[in-house]
Amino acid sequence: MRGEHRRQGNEQPPQETKGMVLDYLEERFGLSPETFKGFGLYMASKGRIYLGPVRAIGSPRIVCLGITIARLSGTVKPSTNLIQLFGRQMSRNIIRLEKEEAMAYARGDDLRLAPERLDRITPGYVALNYLDVPLGCGMLKDGSIRNMLPKAKRLELKFI
Amino acid sequence: MTFIPDAFKERYLPLVDDEDAFLASLEVLLPKSFRVNTLKSNADEVKARFAGYGITINQMPWYQEAFVSENPDIGATLEHFTGAIYMQELVSMLPPLLIREQLKDARFVLDACAAPGSKTTQLAALMDNKGVIVANDASYSRTRALKFNLEKTGTINSIITNQDLRNFPHMQFDAILVDAPCSAEGTIRKNDKLFSEWSEKSIFSQSRLQKQLITKAFELLTPGGTMIYSTCTFAPEENEAVVDWLLQSYPDAVIEPIPEMEGLKLSHPVEEWKGATFNAWVRNTRRIWPHHNNTGGFYLAKVRK
Repeated sequence: MRGEHRRQGNEQPPQETKGMVLDYLEERFGLSPETFKGFGLYMASKGRIYLGPVRAIGSPRIVCLGITIARLSGTVKPSTNLIQLFGRQMSRNIIRLEKEEAMAYARGDDLRLAPERLDRITPGYVALNYLDVPLGCGMLKDGSIRNMLPKAKRLELKFI
Repeated sequence: MTFIPDAFKERYLPLVDDEDAFLASLEVLLPKSFRVNTLKSNADEVKARFAGYGITINQMPWYQEAFVSENPDIGATLEHFTGAIYMQELVSMLPPLLIREQLKDARFVLDACAAPGSKTTQLAALMDNKGVIVANDASYSRTRALKFNLEKTGTINSIITNQDLRNFPHMQFDAILVDAPCSAEGTIRKNDKLFSEWSEKSIFSQSRLQKQLITKAFELLTPGGTMIYSTCTFAPEENEAVVDWLLQSYPDAVIEPIPEMEGLKLSHPVEEWKGATFNAWVRNTRRIWPHHNNTGGFYLAKVRK
């Protein structure tokens, strides 16, 4: 069949992997597994985890189900999509950015914040907000935030 | 000045109410338009944010999520960055809107020619991410843009498939959109190269494909289900003639009237073309001419099984 080499995002992950992703999101961000009720998790190439409809069709050639919510590479890396869609339901490890910082983040820059702003944040992946708007993901390490925004999503914001 | 072929004028000038206004409209770039993505925001929130930016936006009376703006920097707003708004042509918002009621309790919906995903993401918003949308496109490379847009808007209830619709396995859908590949004459206002590749021959070949697509889609529709057939072209061969073909193949297909919409002028379809008279049911379909609403050109048919 044509296209068989394509890795498709429609394989059920082992229970252990599914548990690891859901536990991580709950522990790290306070995101309850209930959030994803009624949807399924799927695995694709490069450790990508998709959140999509419970699989109900078999025969047409499936490219992927739903949206990428995380990537596995030793740890769980939450996706921009996940944070932009569910960030308002997260309760931990959220950093509120100032306007200039949010613009720098959208541009793709790494950020350095004053230590007192990181008081209740533990090193690892963080959700970045501007006002109450979730922007995306960063990686907090040694007091600085590495920008995890994919290149295709970077944007020079003029209105914020 | 856009070069407009004589054959184009000969075909369409007899169909329009105002030749000069029609020709003049083809020269003018489309204004920017966008849709508020209700999976992430709402119209009032976006209006308040844009007022804060000092950007003037005009809300469409026929769809409160639809806005037009002359500002060229809509794409550089926070709302565009987060997927709270989605840049989409006004007329392309109509097919999902016309099945809004059917979408409320739909379990399976097919967007048969989905890439780049404007209509799929709108379907998901109208369904509040419930049910399942099968977003199909025959071209694998085009599913990449589709995937990007579904991710950006948070369209979780979608399954992207890559299949020629004509070979689609038998399934039943409660609602189907066939936004058919077409000669795209109605997109001249955003593609000034269009006429360099325009030919009547391509209209005829598109028409053959569209007739296969509409009948196949009708077969995939559950009894009682609704399908919207649409194109962004003026050619009757790709519009009224395709619906006429469906009625010849499936005389039990019902062509439903398209409701009036406040602030949007819909026009009657062509009843005869090149000596042939179309089935009387085709009169329930509608055209949108670019000079009536300052949009692209469009054609819509609502079909019930």
